[in-house]
Amino acid sequence: MIETHDLRKRFAAKTAVDGLNLVVPQGRVTGLLGLNGAGKTTTIKILATLLRQTEGTVRIGGLDPVRQPHAVRKRINLIAGGERMVYARMTGRENLWYFGQLYDIPSRVLKPRIDELLDLVGLTDAAGTRVERYSRGMTQRLSIARGLVNDPDYLLLDEPTLGLDAPIARDLRKVVAELARGGKAVLLTSHYLAEVEQLCEHVYVIGDGRHLAEGTPAELITQTGCHRTVRVEVSGLTPEVEAAALAFDPAVRVDSAAGVVELSRPGDVAGALTMAIVAAGGTLTGLEIAEPSLEDAILALNDRSAVAMAQVAR
Amino acid sequence: MRHALRVLRAEALKQHRQIFGSKLVLFSMLVWPLLQLAEAYYMLHPLQGGDSGGPRLLAFLATGTLGFTFFFSLVQSSWHFSMERQSGTLELLFLSPANRLVVVIANGFGALVQNVWLFVSFSVAMFWWLGVVNVAHPGMYAVVFLALLVPAVAWGAFLNSLLIFSRDSAFVYTLLDDPMWFVSGVRLPTSALPELVRAAGSVLPLTGSLAIVRGALLDGQGVGDLAGELVTLTGLSATLLLAAVVALRVGEARAQRTGQLKLF
Repeated sequence: MIETHDLRKRFAAKTAVDGLNLVVPQGRVTGLLGLNGAGKTTTIKILATLLRQTEGTVRIGGLDPVRQPHAVRKRINLIAGGERMVYARMTGRENLWYFGQLYDIPSRVLKPRIDELLDLVGLTDAAGTRVERYSRGMTQRLSIARGLVNDPDYLLLDEPTLGLDAPIARDLRKVVAELARGGKAVLLTSHYLAEVEQLCEHVYVIGDGRHLAEGTPAELITQTGCHRTVRVEVSGLTPEVEAAALAFDPAVRVDSAAGVVELSRPGDVAGALTMAIVAAGGTLTGLEIAEPSLEDAILALNDRSAVAMAQVAR
Repeated sequence: MRHALRVLRAEALKQHRQIFGSKLVLFSMLVWPLLQLAEAYYMLHPLQGGDSGGPRLLAFLATGTLGFTFFFSLVQSSWHFSMERQSGTLELLFLSPANRLVVVIANGFGALVQNVWLFVSFSVAMFWWLGVVNVAHPGMYAVVFLALLVPAVAWGAFLNSLLIFSRDSAFVYTLLDDPMWFVSGVRLPTSALPELVRAAGSVLPLTGSLAIVRGALLDGQGVGDLAGELVTLTGLSATLLLAAVVALRVGEARAQRTGQLKLF
């Protein structure tokens, strides 16, 4: 398990991480979300031993990365998005072999593992080709294989599917889910919130380095008050129909010119709203029901945080 | 030890892939030193006032150029190493459990082998052709080899560790090019240099390496004759390795504090 307690990191005048408490258990994918500059990458780099916290504690499998960095580094790995972080003049296989040596992996273990990883990321046919001839997606896939070369117990994924084609990203998500099922603790940051919703059982949302909320994606949506939105298109949206809609719920938004009535509410209000409109003489020409997304929840949390910060500043 | 050997093997392959056959190495590690050697020879030879000392002068200059090639190849490889910041691989080296000192030593050693084999081959052929080699016993060839290799690798480890500490590495190139050539006695005996320049040269391991190489290869000196130089060079190499350890520790701690490893 990865645990942080009251984690803080300051760079000169900026506080990048401010009192973060995280628990990343083995056997599941945990999400770490936030807008740009929220402190996600800084947090991941502290866990990866590349940065040292200013205050607070970190435990990875019970080990303290500050006092036992060597033991921690053997058990973790980091995969970051983008196409850097491999050697262009070496082949894909050589890159994996090189990093395997840095992790002191015996040949009898490393050779079959390299074959497995190349197969996993679909690079078996290109294993003997220099990386400088790889496409961006291929390089990123190799970078993913590199991050798994030491079979880490704790896997830190910082935007791992950035720049990947949709089929490859989908395959990677399958791999990540499988790794977690196999008992690894996975911490994932991603801007693709659909990816987070699909993979993460538990999500932390941070803003300006501070903890804003946590829970399952569904719980986060509920916590933030984001509800499904019913959008009704009405032909001949008369003042009577508008009045009936507003009488049904004062939160209804009416656009008379476009002939649209919208309402965001918990529960299923679509049937009752449309019946109220029809009863007032309106003719329905379209109905859309939009489920609230994790993106809505993140934006709502961030807006609330910004408002709270502004109040504190005043 | 086993892990260190693995890192050494890995860096050797990496350097081979990055350096072998590169035009930069061909020109900077063979063509350019040969031009420098020719220039120095044809500049100094007329001043000798006769042809009798020609082979000896050429051998003196060739040993100087050989030693300089060893040490300067590591300045060049350190510059390459600093490029790993830009590729993001420097962070990966620090993410791994590999011993940092071993990594920088292995990096320097791997680069050295790939860089100097061309000029070493040329020098061996030239010494044989000139017929000027005068060694006390065959074991002195090993002394010569070690006197070039060990301090050069320590020098490379030191430079690599400095470049991790600072991202502005280009100045090292300029700082160590012509000045190293001058103060270490590559073209002139250090005895011909002013006291101050000799003092500056004495802190560079190339100076000690050249004294041993020339003494052993050209003057028939044995280990006993060169004991003083050998002890000094060993001490200097150990100091460089110690300085590398300190720079790596300070540099890594600083990088963990500031996040500068990702900056380039």
